[in-house]
Amino acid sequence: METTMKICTQSLCFYYRRQQVLHDINLQLPANQITAITGPSGSGKSTFLMVLNRLWEEIEGCSISGKVTMELNGHVKNIHDPALPVRELRRKVGMVFQQPNPLPMSIYKNIAFPLHLAHVNDKIQIRENVESALRQVYLWDEVKDRLGDDGRLLSGGQQQRLCLARALVLNPEVLLLDEPTSSLDPEASNAIEKLLISLKSRCTLIMVSHYQDQIQRIADLHIKVLNGRFST
Amino acid sequence: MVKLFENGITVLSWLATILLLTSLFFLVAYLVYKGGSSLQLTLIFGDTAPLDALMLKRQVFDGLLPAIGGTLLLIIGSMIIAIPVGVAGGIYMAEYCNSKIKPLYNLAFDVLAGVPSIIIGLAGLLLTIFLNRNFQGQIATCLLISCFSLALLVLPYLIRTTQTALETIDPVIRKTAPVLGASRLQNITLVLLPDSLADIISGIILAIGRCAEDTAVIMLTGAVATAGLPHSPFAQYEALPFYIYYISSQYTGPDELARGFGAAIILLLLCTGFLGFSVLIQRRLTTLLLYR
Repeated sequence: METTMKICTQSLCFYYRRQQVLHDINLQLPANQITAITGPSGSGKSTFLMVLNRLWEEIEGCSISGKVTMELNGHVKNIHDPALPVRELRRKVGMVFQQPNPLPMSIYKNIAFPLHLAHVNDKIQIRENVESALRQVYLWDEVKDRLGDDGRLLSGGQQQRLCLARALVLNPEVLLLDEPTSSLDPEASNAIEKLLISLKSRCTLIMVSHYQDQIQRIADLHIKVLNGRFST
Repeated sequence: MVKLFENGITVLSWLATILLLTSLFFLVAYLVYKGGSSLQLTLIFGDTAPLDALMLKRQVFDGLLPAIGGTLLLIIGSMIIAIPVGVAGGIYMAEYCNSKIKPLYNLAFDVLAGVPSIIIGLAGLLLTIFLNRNFQGQIATCLLISCFSLALLVLPYLIRTTQTALETIDPVIRKTAPVLGASRLQNITLVLLPDSLADIISGIILAIGRCAEDTAVIMLTGAVATAGLPHSPFAQYEALPFYIYYISSQYTGPDELARGFGAAIILLLLCTGFLGFSVLIQRRLTTLLLYR
């Protein structure tokens, strides 16, 4: 079976103020696989992730040229198409950061937050979605009796799984991971790695990582970045 | 040598703390010693029966009730004007303002914050004169104009504290909601504001204190020695700080002076009450906004 391409970039360049961060990137990223991106600090890995969910637009002084297309809901779309609102794109393209970032709310509210933002008001549906997201990250059994506790009181690994669950609750098609395990201990990292492999069936994962062994364990495709230029 | 220096610093900080606490203690003790004897119901209500006075059935002439009421109304009125404008201004500065024009605005607000209150009072007085000329003498110095002037006085504090509170939010928290599909406004109302609420309310507490104690602005814009409780926003009014100033400069006997000290104690208690109330709101609101 031929793998379908989820994301394509054509002569993508990225600028911050007057400095060019990404140089002429032409990439095709396969669907339902884990693509790992590696490279030295400041080479543009995280910037590339920010291009894919248009998070760079929140930062002043950034600009972009080139084209990025993504297959969403079965259609190939240009992610900068004005007809595609950025909020909709970000619901389809989830993101998890290096530092676990639970909001100062209860565990339950943290997971329900994206649904709340998307104006989902059906309480029963929210409850079901929260439970299924927590089950997907194997956190349900650990927290089901204390869903009202502050999300920040969980351990580092649990917090990162909470953030993954929060990104998954909207059923994204693409998941961007910016060094998702580098602030965790080996055991928690292992749990996250297993989880990422299990997510391949329902999302396309793009992961920035510093760990060579981690990439060998879980990545299907490995892309190296040096000074804003990509090579496979 | 270094050890000695470090110990010296510790001793100095302790001394500074002790100095602060003792001066506070002596200040309060002196106030209570001088004004404690006057702290009776008659100080507030004069000869009028307290219940009648509170129900506004009878007017209080020789008590502090009108001054207390005036100060309360002054605080409430100026906060109603200043809080929405100040918080909105702070949000604009932190979230929407173009980075090229921002330093200019920052400078402008800092200058406004440094304007002496007597100048703000003069501005209020000029506004009154302008209105008086243009509305056939119907508008004179009054509660409403004092509230506007006091709001202007505390506005820069509110804007700057809100702005700083928003700008110092952890960048990771700042980008959390946008990544999950939040609009800019949703991010501000659902995450950034609740997260910085404690700091914003601290700013409001400071502003309330400033409104409660300021004399220069109100003596030029509507506070008088005897007016009774104001019956409308366009009436003149009495206020505690003005009463204290007035009594301490023109007292005729030890009894009156003691009443001035009594008023000072009441003003302090009023501020403490507002402080406690704000802390309560701070806790309740944070819980309500984030954990509901």
